[in-house]
Amino acid sequence: MKINPQSFFNFCANHAPLLRALAERGGEISEAEALRSIRANPSAAEELPETAWRRLRELQILVPTEPGSEVFFLAEPVARLLTYLFNEANPATPEMIGGYVLSLETTARRLARALDEEDVQQVKLAFEEINQTLRRIHADLDETQHAILGEVARYKTERARVSVREKYRRIVHWMERYVEPMIDIVRADGPLRATFDEVERLLHRAREEALFNDHPVLTRNHRFLRLVAAHALRVFTQCRKEIQPLYESLRRSSFIAEGAARALEKLQVDGLSKWGNEYLIEVAALRFQNVPGDSAIALALRRVIEHPPKPPPVLELSGEREDPGALVRLMWLDSLPDLVRDDLPVEDLLGWLVKKHPSPNTSDVLAGFSRLLFHREFSAAFADQMPRAYATQDGEIEASPVALICV
Amino acid sequence: MNNLPHLKNIFDRLKRGYHLGPDDEPEFSALCGHPDDYAAYFAAIGLTLVRHEREFFYLEPDNPETVPDTLPRIAVFSYVMIDYAANQGRPIEEYIFGQNFLVTALPHFTLDRYIALLRQVDVHDLPDLRILLKHIERIGWVKLDDDEFRFLRPFHRVFSKCLEIADAARSEAARDNGVQDSELEPLPVPLPGKDE
Repeated sequence: MKINPQSFFNFCANHAPLLRALAERGGEISEAEALRSIRANPSAAEELPETAWRRLRELQILVPTEPGSEVFFLAEPVARLLTYLFNEANPATPEMIGGYVLSLETTARRLARALDEEDVQQVKLAFEEINQTLRRIHADLDETQHAILGEVARYKTERARVSVREKYRRIVHWMERYVEPMIDIVRADGPLRATFDEVERLLHRAREEALFNDHPVLTRNHRFLRLVAAHALRVFTQCRKEIQPLYESLRRSSFIAEGAARALEKLQVDGLSKWGNEYLIEVAALRFQNVPGDSAIALALRRVIEHPPKPPPVLELSGEREDPGALVRLMWLDSLPDLVRDDLPVEDLLGWLVKKHPSPNTSDVLAGFSRLLFHREFSAAFADQMPRAYATQDGEIEASPVALICV
Repeated sequence: MNNLPHLKNIFDRLKRGYHLGPDDEPEFSALCGHPDDYAAYFAAIGLTLVRHEREFFYLEPDNPETVPDTLPRIAVFSYVMIDYAANQGRPIEEYIFGQNFLVTALPHFTLDRYIALLRQVDVHDLPDLRILLKHIERIGWVKLDDDEFRFLRPFHRVFSKCLEIADAARSEAARDNGVQDSELEPLPVPLPGKDE
């Protein structure tokens, strides 16, 4: 459908902020989003948002993504016009420049054939086509350079907290998507230069033939070819120079951040015990405090020399072979109160001791006697009997019998 | 060789794990003036003097069997600092060396993840952090001034360690994908920049 240019530009004149918002937004847009944008950027002339929405579609500023679709996008010619008007640059992809190179190759073949056949009309058309392609290449290279420089400037001034690794990924994208492949195309031994050389050769040939050498585009193309070739190489070399330090800096930062993140993740997952020394930054720590002097060494030696010899102690490492006598005696003495308790009252304590426990010697018998005599649970008294003799393992005791009762 | 200037002070500091950088004059200038002589002197007593690519000196650790408690603490503190710096959007070295930090405004207790990591190395609160910073000052990585501090050039040892870890991970991933180490792009080298 044809669009009335006057209506189109009148609408644009009244809706410049809206068009700018749509251009900056980019991508697909629904009716609701478009209406929101229209309300946020009202027209200079009073009109309903629905009217503006209808006009956007009628003037084919917004076109459906596919026939009958409810989702729209900014029509490509309008987008290019707005880019031009707002001085915003879109980078040309290497494929686009590659496409121009292919187009030039095809045109060069046609030009060669036309020169062979001395076809003036075809030669003229080829000259025009070459001129247009060269202009497009020049314009696209300029736009790409602006886009790249703008992106670099944004990185340097961006205040938003975008992580270093995210920035690095973005700059790598620019480097790998635009700068490096473009340099491959435009460098001295690249396809652009080869095609330009071929076109230049044909233009030379045309100039030498009187039939074509007065065509004004011929000279212009000749000039333009050299200009674009030099310009292309300079543009992308400059772009690489601009972007390279940023790329290197972000690459290093990204690696550093990755290393720290890996170390922390390992600690988080495995715990400190399994963290391993490879994540530690070791520092030297010498354990000695000072180098010993001569006097200190002499003193240490003298102490060793003058130390009296003494055999080392011999440790008895095997277990005890016999029961320890003192312990057995103590246990026997401790057991006496319980033993005598069953036999109470005892009329002759010493007699009970000798009779019940004949093994102990005189000393032990008397110790047992004392233990029971002064025990807090028992009470002792002489039995009012004549003294008697009590035979022990190693002797004899003569004593008056003592009776023992429970308290 | 015994006439090397400031030998006693230099040895005294290096043997305790201190890193001598441009903030440590006159020892640093003495080392820069005769690096090979000092290295030879220390080599004779079994010590290796390292001159880092970012121009500071330290003695090579002898890989002790027992790791002091402070080393994991210093490592976790440093990695957390870098992890936080990476999220600020500026190149990490520029962020670390380009400003002074307040101890009370450090990011270490701002995220539960960081708190949990620090807890593993027995750093629980701000006083613990202050003690740790004093340890780090003793090895010459920071300059403390009351509640404020700045990182010194030898902190590059942490960056070197991070690059080493990232490179190891990259080599491992490459091996898993059947790529030779020699085919990988070399590690980024330090860029000249403000770090003092």
